[in-house]
Amino acid sequence: MKPAPFEYFCPDSLDEAVVLLAGRAAEAKLLAGGQSLVPLLNFRLLQPAALIDINRLSELAFLAEDRGGLRIGALTRHHALETSPAVAALFPVLSEAMAHVAHLAVRNRGTIGGSLAHADPAAELPMVATLLDAEIRTRSAAGPHTHDARDFFTGPLSTVLADDEIVTEVFLPALPPRTGSAFAEFSLRRGDFAIAAVAATVTVADGRITAARLAVAGADERPLRLDEVEASLAGQCFDADLVETAARLAGESVNPFTDLRASADYRRHLVAVLARRVLTEAHARIAVGAA
Amino acid sequence: MSKHRTIKATVNGIAYERSVEPRLLLSDFLRQTLGLTGTHVGCEHGVCGACTVLIDGDSARACLYFAVQADGRHIETVEGLGTIDDLSPLQQEFREHHALQCGFCTPGMLMTCVDLLKKYPLASDAEIRDGLSGNLCRCTGYEHIVRAVRAAAARRGRKDDG
Amino acid sequence: MADPDVLRPKHIGARVRRVEDPRLLTGQGAFADDRIVPGALHIAFRRSDHAHALISGIDTAAAAAMPGVFAVYTAADLEGLVEPLRATSRMRNYHATPLYPLARGRVRHVGEPVVAVLAEDRYRAEDALDGIAIDYAPLAAVSDPRAALGADAPVLHEEAGTNVLAEREFSRGDIAAELAAAPIRVGGSFRFHRKAPTAIENRACIAEYDRGRRLLTLTSSTQIPGVIRDALADLLDMPGHSVRVVAADVGGGFGGKASLYPEEILVAVLARRLGRAVRWTGDRLEDLATTSHGFDEIIDAELALDRDGTMLALSAEVIGDVGAYSIYPWTAALEPVQVVSFMPGPYRVPTYRGRVRAVATNKAPTGPYRGVGRPIATFVMERLVDMAARRLSLDPAELRRRNLVRPEEFPYRVASGIVWDRSGFGECLERACAAIDYPKLRTDQGKARAAGRLCGVGIASYAELTGIGSRISAAPGMPINTGTETATIRLDSTGAVTGNFGIASHGQGLETTLAQVIADELGARLADIQILQGDSALVAHGTGTYASRSAVLAGGAAVSAARLLKERIIRAASHLLEAAVEDIDAADGRVFVSGTDRSLSFREIARAVYTEIGRLPRDAREELEVTKVYDPFFGTATAATHIAALEIDPQTCKVRLDRYVVAEDCGRVINPMIVDGQVHGAVAQGIGAALTEEIVYDEAGQLLTASLVDYVIPAASEVPPIETIHLDTESPSTLGGFRGMGEGGTIGAPAAVANALADALAPLGAEIFELPMTPERLFRLITEATAQARGD
Repeated sequence: MKPAPFEYFCPDSLDEAVVLLAGRAAEAKLLAGGQSLVPLLNFRLLQPAALIDINRLSELAFLAEDRGGLRIGALTRHHALETSPAVAALFPVLSEAMAHVAHLAVRNRGTIGGSLAHADPAAELPMVATLLDAEIRTRSAAGPHTHDARDFFTGPLSTVLADDEIVTEVFLPALPPRTGSAFAEFSLRRGDFAIAAVAATVTVADGRITAARLAVAGADERPLRLDEVEASLAGQCFDADLVETAARLAGESVNPFTDLRASADYRRHLVAVLARRVLTEAHARIAVGAA
Repeated sequence: MSKHRTIKATVNGIAYERSVEPRLLLSDFLRQTLGLTGTHVGCEHGVCGACTVLIDGDSARACLYFAVQADGRHIETVEGLGTIDDLSPLQQEFREHHALQCGFCTPGMLMTCVDLLKKYPLASDAEIRDGLSGNLCRCTGYEHIVRAVRAAAARRGRKDDG
Repeated sequence: MADPDVLRPKHIGARVRRVEDPRLLTGQGAFADDRIVPGALHIAFRRSDHAHALISGIDTAAAAAMPGVFAVYTAADLEGLVEPLRATSRMRNYHATPLYPLARGRVRHVGEPVVAVLAEDRYRAEDALDGIAIDYAPLAAVSDPRAALGADAPVLHEEAGTNVLAEREFSRGDIAAELAAAPIRVGGSFRFHRKAPTAIENRACIAEYDRGRRLLTLTSSTQIPGVIRDALADLLDMPGHSVRVVAADVGGGFGGKASLYPEEILVAVLARRLGRAVRWTGDRLEDLATTSHGFDEIIDAELALDRDGTMLALSAEVIGDVGAYSIYPWTAALEPVQVVSFMPGPYRVPTYRGRVRAVATNKAPTGPYRGVGRPIATFVMERLVDMAARRLSLDPAELRRRNLVRPEEFPYRVASGIVWDRSGFGECLERACAAIDYPKLRTDQGKARAAGRLCGVGIASYAELTGIGSRISAAPGMPINTGTETATIRLDSTGAVTGNFGIASHGQGLETTLAQVIADELGARLADIQILQGDSALVAHGTGTYASRSAVLAGGAAVSAARLLKERIIRAASHLLEAAVEDIDAADGRVFVSGTDRSLSFREIARAVYTEIGRLPRDAREELEVTKVYDPFFGTATAATHIAALEIDPQTCKVRLDRYVVAEDCGRVINPMIVDGQVHGAVAQGIGAALTEEIVYDEAGQLLTASLVDYVIPAASEVPPIETIHLDTESPSTLGGFRGMGEGGTIGAPAAVANALADALAPLGAEIFELPMTPERLFRLITEATAQARGD
């Protein structure tokens, strides 16, 4: 299990990387954390002619608060997200999700941009980006571009990214006040990819849910927001029956696949179970956090 | 065929300059180019953790990193911990608690623990087990490793206090 | 006079820190792939991607022309260089299968090596694999062993004429009559799926040929250097002293490294032919596809009991899926036959019939895996016991208590012919129950159950035969002797003690435990003893480390040799100290005359014997080197009881193990720290076997679990703390009183977990017939049981 030969480029700036990629877009892959890419190279499932190593683009490693939200540079490592006080304060659901991402050695290397661009349907970060209505900002020779996370993922390991496009940062817009969030995942082994993962935000005002968001991973070919479930919650008073109905709807509204680890039925069942848990937990956290 | 590149990397405090093919994995660079065979290879897809080393102080899988990327970086391997005659405190705890059997996962386990001890409180066995869960061991059933890390975490606390 | 305890330090029974550790902790181990030989050629194999096919043509020209490639070999290039390997047996109804280092005309499983590329490094060798064109004519493949029994099934080995490679039956009493007459009968069809040993070190080997000395040295990650030496000497027609097999440090084996593999033969053949070192370092893909798998059995079993719970009869019909070849040296019969020979377990089962068929399929061969057959036998028997207890409304511990062979019944002959010499069957059960506070566990479980939680407690009692001697072949009818081990112990001219052995430690810490045994028997200091092992050149005959044998056989040989050497040292000392032999003893590296302050160090004695000629009469200078062969003849019983307590999340179907206790009788404990570690590790493997580990092939024989992402072995987060209790009773049957214990954890754990799962699901009326009980299977089981309970 050794990778096939490739040409290696190691640009020092984003501008340089954009030019390099533009010249070789069809046969080059970007190398960021490498935690998903290098196994594919080692198995020779991917044999790109060139790798463009973007690990020296320090301009892409940043975390900055912006209008109550967060701008996160594409080269920010998972471990930085896991331990960032700003992330914990503004988007606790992201901190919570990071603890489920593989293991320290992988989180030390894996980057937010890499995870989004890799688009594993069972990965945590794409799902949380979908939940949080993230903006995914990119650069190509044609200039900067912004994608809505909800439209970014198109299938297993595929996105709307053009061959010459580099993810540069992710913007997470501020959550409304009186919002609680929660994340839950089921995997065979700690740190493994999710068989199913669900995350929610619940916002209340005057005793009613003003908005709820529910996102799932592992249950479809891409991370999903469950619009129907969200609509069913909006404007309602929170109670156990409401959650139960929403959870059941969540299970019914996904169209999972069957693989070695889990059948479609089991995944659907897990989505419902986890949806119930995260909705309940997200709501409970508002009461505690904003009382 | 891809061109070789010359890299300068510091491994366990020693500066090396070597010409490498870009596709050469750091694990193979350490083992075959430098002869540092303490870093072991168990899966080459990032799951088993046997090849874990420190790159600029952070634990990482050497099988998911190219030697060419190590240009200008500081790599630490198990050979950089204690020596046979002077084991590091963590190595001593592994020995005291019989936290290794065949010893194949051990170098990766140790390098992971060095990073875990630096970054996490490891205040409970559950936290220790979570921290160890990226390193597969097939011999010990982990119980003695948990005990060794527990002791190393406590020892670290004492050192901080003193 | 000094305190005798001070004079005679007891190393046996002490938690002695391992001598292996410093080198392994500092990255100074010597694993097979660590051996750096300049100019060595690296092999990469083009392996079959067909489960079953004829090879109609191979074109290697493009590969051979690629940069860095030295040579490309196919089976045709090896004609005349090496004989095919056959695992023969005297067993009736057994068919050996010829195995070639590279597939010859036909492939029978995915992963079978077809072409070998030799290149300057592994990268270039892999590059060249794409340059090989193989024309396959696909044959019908069979991956289901039941289908392989069918009249229209493709036959894998035409010379056998059948896919049933081995067949065996054990019978005592009139099974049909006993079953018919019994008031209580429980049974079912059980399935234990295929698993992989998955040592963290993949298999690796390097062969070097010294043309000047005509010496072939194979360094391999093997558990059986002696077996391989003997086999290679035959296959290559070389004298034994020209073939040396070295297994210095080996990164775990668990049975997966206890067979001779095609890769080992190939590197040896090519190194000799080319006069150059040839290396193969297997990767994880190759490991999961080709290292011998374990288990994979279907068992239809029934247990008959009297109304008071007395066991009356047991019947078992077993189909063992042994894969494509009969593995060397153990044969395809090893694993499945042990299922039926051990099925009655530690219980009094007067009437028994067990029949087994070992069936070839288009999958990788199965072979020895920790526990061999007994994890399956124990899973089935212990499930039957729990099913019977439920039927009888008896506590599962009580039903076991009533049927375990009692102390006065030893030696007890099992219906399959195995004899339990003596072991604490009942005591293990009682000690395990006491350690876990079984009554309280049941009370707590009652409360949890009342609250709607799925909590379960599972017991598994078993017995195994360890330290098997020459009377019984480790595998049925196998022509090689695994029943003896050799120790050569030497006091050299510097006063240092060296013990040479034929065993091959790969994590068991035998360099430490055998030194402990020698230190006590010889009266030497631990620091003065070095154990050499894992090298076929050390003793005239040795096989290796497997089958829970090394502490018993090598330990017994060490006791025997050390005692004789000590007599010689004391005879020499009696001349030097001018004292009677009876008045002299040895401890802590010195001999001393009791009641006096006269003593000599081993070093002084060694000098007197070897160097300072004249200090001893010529005929009193005995060789201070003793070789003894130990044969326990039958072997000895090791017993244990495991208790697992777990909870199933009824919504997610996640299983959480809360408690795990093992009480075991492994005889005289040499090093309790090491024994604990062996138990922990074996239990973790058993938990993996029970919950997540499964090698999956599709119907066409394609391997679906080819990475550690898909083949899920337990991490620290999935294994509970494990408590151990050692009975520490000397075996009456072995020299030293040791019993083997390396496999036991893996034998008991699947059954204990299965019983705990079934117990947790009892309120739903579900039973466990299949392992591993993955979350998916548990989900289906719970869904069906819930639907049935609702009357759907």
